[in-house]
Amino acid sequence: MNDQEFFDLALKVIGRRASDGERGQLEVLLASRPDLKAQFEEIRDDACLAKKVLPLMEAVESSSGEFPAYARERLLTKVRQTLGQPQRTRAKRGWSWRWALGFAVGATAVVLLLLPMLTHPGEPIIQVVMLDTAGPVRGEDSDLDALKAQWKHSEIRTFDKAELDTWRTNWPSGAKVAAKVIYDRAAGEVRVILHGPGKPMEKTFPVGQDLAATLRQAADFIREQTRK
Amino acid sequence: MGGWAPPDAEDGLPRERPLYRQPWVAPLATTWPFLHSSAMQTPDLQALQRDDTAEWDLAFHWLWPVALRAAQIVLQPYLPGDVEDVAMESFEELVDEVKRLCTAEEMKPLWARIARTVRIAWRAHAKVEELKPLLAKIAHNRAVSRLRQVYALKRGAGQKESLEGRQEDWGDIPEAIAPDDPVGALEHKEMAARLGRLLAELKPPRGEMLADFFLRGLTYEEIAKKHAVALGTVGVYLKQGLAAMRRIWGRGGKDV
Repeated sequence: MNDQEFFDLALKVIGRRASDGERGQLEVLLASRPDLKAQFEEIRDDACLAKKVLPLMEAVESSSGEFPAYARERLLTKVRQTLGQPQRTRAKRGWSWRWALGFAVGATAVVLLLLPMLTHPGEPIIQVVMLDTAGPVRGEDSDLDALKAQWKHSEIRTFDKAELDTWRTNWPSGAKVAAKVIYDRAAGEVRVILHGPGKPMEKTFPVGQDLAATLRQAADFIREQTRK
Repeated sequence: MGGWAPPDAEDGLPRERPLYRQPWVAPLATTWPFLHSSAMQTPDLQALQRDDTAEWDLAFHWLWPVALRAAQIVLQPYLPGDVEDVAMESFEELVDEVKRLCTAEEMKPLWARIARTVRIAWRAHAKVEELKPLLAKIAHNRAVSRLRQVYALKRGAGQKESLEGRQEDWGDIPEAIAPDDPVGALEHKEMAARLGRLLAELKPPRGEMLADFFLRGLTYEEIAKKHAVALGTVGVYLKQGLAAMRRIWGRGGKDV
């Protein structure tokens, strides 16, 4: 008897599908060949496992059987009792960290957008000089007063042309943005030189009838450029 | 998300739905049949956990045959009137399990939940498939308990009938009723995985033949006739089927 024949005989006996003759044949076989007993036990174990597993397997694969209408309400009640209100609360709570995360991301984006506007380079240092080739004027100098009135916090100096070249290249150390205002009375113009993180800028404002108005233009220009 | 809510949403809260379950996908599926995936017919686990009535309705129809069949296999020959009751009770237990799964998810650390959210679209379907083996196991265990209860009651009522005595009246008592049930004791996720492997490995007609022999009590001759194969082939298929089962579950379920 080969392996397959022994398996068939053993399975029929284990599954109670064997005839009396087949049962007798197996008994004789096991008595005469004790080595087959272990094999028989293995087949019995496998059959035992199959009886446990096959019902689950068949149930999982099953797709027939109409869901009874009367069962719906009972099961929905159970669903509501188990997963109802507390579950919704849980769901809302579950979102809280997402809200926090979203808020943090949004706030960061806003800060990044506002940062350039909020962190302008501060008030520039303004140095003012009046180029005076004709020498000091007796009595009150209205031009000097106009300069003082426009830049109250800056020292107004008076140079001749020789000193100017040294002064205009000598920028205050540590200042991010600085401006030099040169009022050339003889040329009738106000020159503004800007020194900052970008490219140096220079602009000349011709002085018309009203020096104060020209100085205001120069001051506006400085404010505008240093705010960028 | 998407502002979609089922008609019976009582609290007015918007319900999250995966893309394939959005209502506008159904009309598209009539034009493009490939959209008719099985995923559209299966409920979404996250929606079930949120008490989504429409999704539970889908689950009832999808899972009922599983509960019913698991109860039938054990009870039909002995207590046919109890089959639907047991299926219903099993479904109720499944609802508790769905909540338990949800709580277990909540206990995960934040990073794990974020990772889960990322892979939710393709994982959701795989996870809901685990409900079938879980429900089968619940229904099977409940059916076995019911059968044991009935035996115990009869014996307790003064009827000195042993299991063997009842066996003569009722025929073959299911193996499941035996107290040692290592398969039933298996953790459901592991059991679902093993059942999935077994279903994949038992190429037709091996699985069907095993069920014919062990569940339906057919003889070799009847099986050969049913599947239109030679009588000698039946034993070969049964042997191969049992070997596959042994590879996955261990001998006699002892690896379980």
